[in-house]
Amino acid sequence: MAKFITKRVAQMLLLFIVFLTVVFFLLEAQPGDLTQQYIGNPEIPPEQKAVLAERLGLDKPVGARYLAYMGNFFTGNFGNSLSQWPRPVSEMILEALPRTLVLFLSATLLAYYLGFVTGKVLAWRRGKFTEYALTLGGVGLYTVFYPWFALLMIWGFGFMLTDWVGFRVFPINKFIDVQDWVGSPFSANHVFLRMITVAALSMLAAAITTMIARRRLELAPALRVRNFAFLAGVLYPFVYFAMSPMRPYAADIFHHTLLPVMTLSLVAFAGIMLLTRASMLETLREDFILTARAKGLSEKVIRDRHAARNALLPVVTSLVLALAFVIGGGIITETVFSWPGIGLLLLSAVTLEDIPLAIGCLSIIAVLALFGHLVADIIYMYLDPRIRYQ
Amino acid sequence: MTDLDTKATPSLRMREPEPPGHELLEPEPLWRVRLRLMRKTFGRNWKLFARNKIGLVGLTIIGIFALMALLHPILMDRVWDPAIYDPVKGYDAVITDFVIVEEVTDPFHEISLADAQLETNPFVEVGETVSIPLQPAPPSKAHWLGTDPVGRDILSQLMYSTRAAFALGAIAAIFAVFIATTIGSMAAFYGGWLDAVLMRFADLVLLVPLIPILIVVSALFNLNLPLLGILLGVLSGFGGTAIVLKSQALSVTVKPFVDAARVAGGTNRHIIFRHIIPNVLPLSFLYMMFTVTDAISLEATLSFLGLMNTPMSWGIMIYTTHSQGYLLSGTSYWWLLIPAGMAVTLVAASFFLVGRAMDEVINPRLRRR
Amino acid sequence: MQTIPSPAGAPPRDRTDAALLEVDNLTMEYEVDGGNVSAVSNVSFALHAGESLGLVGESGCGKTSVAMSLLRLQADNARFREGEIRLNGEDLLPLSEAEMRTHRWKDISMVFQGAMNAWNPVQRVGAQILEAINLHIKPRPTAAEARKRMEDLFNLVGVDPKMLDRYPHEFSGGMRQRAIIAMALSCDPQIIIADEPTTALDVIVQDQILAQLLRIQKELGMAIIYISHDIAVIAEVTQKIAVMYAGRIVEIGPTEEVFANPRHPYGYLLLHSAPSITGPRRRLAPLKGEPPNLLNPPTGCRFHPRCPFATEKCVVESPPLQEVSPGHSVECWHWDKVPSMAEEGHA
Repeated sequence: MAKFITKRVAQMLLLFIVFLTVVFFLLEAQPGDLTQQYIGNPEIPPEQKAVLAERLGLDKPVGARYLAYMGNFFTGNFGNSLSQWPRPVSEMILEALPRTLVLFLSATLLAYYLGFVTGKVLAWRRGKFTEYALTLGGVGLYTVFYPWFALLMIWGFGFMLTDWVGFRVFPINKFIDVQDWVGSPFSANHVFLRMITVAALSMLAAAITTMIARRRLELAPALRVRNFAFLAGVLYPFVYFAMSPMRPYAADIFHHTLLPVMTLSLVAFAGIMLLTRASMLETLREDFILTARAKGLSEKVIRDRHAARNALLPVVTSLVLALAFVIGGGIITETVFSWPGIGLLLLSAVTLEDIPLAIGCLSIIAVLALFGHLVADIIYMYLDPRIRYQ
Repeated sequence: MTDLDTKATPSLRMREPEPPGHELLEPEPLWRVRLRLMRKTFGRNWKLFARNKIGLVGLTIIGIFALMALLHPILMDRVWDPAIYDPVKGYDAVITDFVIVEEVTDPFHEISLADAQLETNPFVEVGETVSIPLQPAPPSKAHWLGTDPVGRDILSQLMYSTRAAFALGAIAAIFAVFIATTIGSMAAFYGGWLDAVLMRFADLVLLVPLIPILIVVSALFNLNLPLLGILLGVLSGFGGTAIVLKSQALSVTVKPFVDAARVAGGTNRHIIFRHIIPNVLPLSFLYMMFTVTDAISLEATLSFLGLMNTPMSWGIMIYTTHSQGYLLSGTSYWWLLIPAGMAVTLVAASFFLVGRAMDEVINPRLRRR
Repeated sequence: MQTIPSPAGAPPRDRTDAALLEVDNLTMEYEVDGGNVSAVSNVSFALHAGESLGLVGESGCGKTSVAMSLLRLQADNARFREGEIRLNGEDLLPLSEAEMRTHRWKDISMVFQGAMNAWNPVQRVGAQILEAINLHIKPRPTAAEARKRMEDLFNLVGVDPKMLDRYPHEFSGGMRQRAIIAMALSCDPQIIIADEPTTALDVIVQDQILAQLLRIQKELGMAIIYISHDIAVIAEVTQKIAVMYAGRIVEIGPTEEVFANPRHPYGYLLLHSAPSITGPRRRLAPLKGEPPNLLNPPTGCRFHPRCPFATEKCVVESPPLQEVSPGHSVECWHWDKVPSMAEEGHA
């Protein structure tokens, strides 16, 4: 098991190096020269330019430049932003990263959980009206042009709902309402990081409780403990911030997360639902389902304990593809909702021709994708004994 | 006869027996036999395809859009005045009377004092009526889908963009399928290090998030439609499509007729081109559909982000609406958003649905679901 | 050798003359696009406690459809048109799903064809057996009791009880089949249906498993229905044999009697299509033609297109099941001509 993970990590590392190399040669191949952008930037003082030219090794041969570039990446030195000179790129990325992570993670988790549960039930109700309606809706959501869908969500939930109920249910864009933060003793980032930490720790506590219960208790009480632990894990952060002086600020940030997360997860949800349905239908034809029925097990037990557990395997494999979608969709979501994450940073870097920042953002996104792939592999290994006990 | 056999799709390999003594009576040229077989295969496949209503709906929508694309140059030539209807350079403004009010409740008949002063002269006052061009104008007899924020006809833009979208999809699909079929067949046939290298490379391409890469590429290169088409085709051809086609090719290489061809002295080239590739082609064709879907929505996405160097496309239409701020004014300017968004969604979805329906023809396991 | 303790409170096994299972005039069709596939028609047979019955026939003749009907696990598009399946006198067909579930595995269990896929690949084998035990044995045994029971079962079928904690992919093919037999025995069923129990295995393992099934049957006394296209298997382990053709039982009788004096041309040809190692040397009689399309079965006797004795009557009128000797019945107008087949060069 440890060997498997080590092997995968090594593979990922290799892939990342190949990726960085490709990006390096892409930079080399672009028309014009990076130098021009430095020389031409009036905000950089001349003495800095000399330092820069030396540090970038613009006079050195390609091989040496490549080595220096790789070395800088692995020491966490992404260079300095050109558009916000002289802020280090790493600092800007670190600021934006948590916001993006929250968007990606919550959308992925929501989409997977809801998509799997719905897809499972859907496959079980072959030929019913709900199956047709949900499948059709799923295909619609799956094929919809995503930026357009996000704009429609703003229309629907931002404007029409507001007109209908008479007050603003969802804020339509941005991370915070700036006028609410005038005179705030906390910075937005500080509140946000606290929110993430509390939520993560509380979910971790729930997961550990569940794991202990699984080991110590019988199936039925263990399930009760799990449900209770997860309910508590979800509710605890709300209680924490309700009693904290950060309450109005945390509420503001939470309020702003709702619509973007909902939009991104809805579309990702459709894909997972359709995939789970197809995978369930495939699994239901397996012989062991017949065995389970012959044993006299109830439909619900067959569905949840035999069919769904096996149907989950291809769905987990698809996490890689879902990740590509969530990353692409995440960037669009950040643009449409002006959500100041890595995607928006990348886009503004590209429009302002801030190459170091763009490359930094791209690399971080690649790391996220690779990391997601690794997580999918580990989950798969955990779920499939045929791989676990090799 | 073996190479004829391979022309049929995997699900339809059973052929009716030739009439006895047929070849003796009249030596039929090979091309005619092939044509006849192809027609028969096509007919049977079409019957299977037509059973799937969703696939037919997709095909119809694609047909309607193709018709629109074909009609546009004729309309520009014969009916529409290019000065008004040109999708990029046209301009038409419907001069409309506006009442100047303190607070605008109806943006099509009322105007705020500040805006009126800006548009006409600084001396107008509240309560007066001014005549200024209405942009964007709602749908009217002259402009069935209204005009955009700079006075261009939306319908003309929509039709013009269809051509670009189809061309882009075709370029991407052809590149993707050509590359994927070649490297998939090679990897499956030769195996060994070639297979390992190509497939690891495909993994890498699949892993790297496409949209961020394209965003960065757009900063470094001048990204226009043909270049984007080629880029998407190459990425898809070396990535996901290659993996799928390779596994299909692998299932062909172990079939007895490949061994038979080898025993009969067929060269590697002959086996790859006459046996493996023809059997992979149905699936290749299927993946062309999915590539078209991806290419159209990716182009629209990049245009929407303002990164494409192209005069007009569905994505540009939405970008114009978005960047001019008409989205934040609520649902009153629906014609700026709905037609273009619908077009991207419908066309992309149609190619996807046609692909799914074809999948059921090629892959019998999926039928009766 | 350990024996499996009878569950507390279970009624004593009925060993009187009344049949344990009676299938009466069972008729089942599959609804498909082009009409109805007549998969099982007018099938009747009886099974007594401790008896073993073999169902033989070519693939697609309806053997498995009959077996699945006994557990009411027929495909979704299957429709029962007629008949009854009586278990201890109670008709199973009108029962609700929930009532039927209490009979499955408890009264009738099954040893599946291709044990490879009969196990859920992501659950330990022990857990899958435990599931059946916990569901059907009342009162519910404690964890230790259930474990003891499973270990006894594994010893009985000759698999190391330690394997209970392993996953199916860690078993060999023969072990998997033995474990399936252990699972089939786990709730002390009155009837076991063995659907091609040894088809996927190599000959030596096949033999061991059949011998084991025979021994277990002697020890525990349940009835077994064997389903196979392999006559040799059926001959070895059954007392009664039913030959199926195109959804009908065309010949049924004591195994020895049917083997010695087949009275249906199909039964004759089926028996003589396999070589015998121990018996006298004889020429093999090949079966010509293909089984009929059951979407549109032949009129009259369903075997007439392939039958050497077919006459006008066979085409028009379906023959009744007639008893030709005690316990041996045949559905053929010309059963008396069958013995002549040997002389007429059919063998």
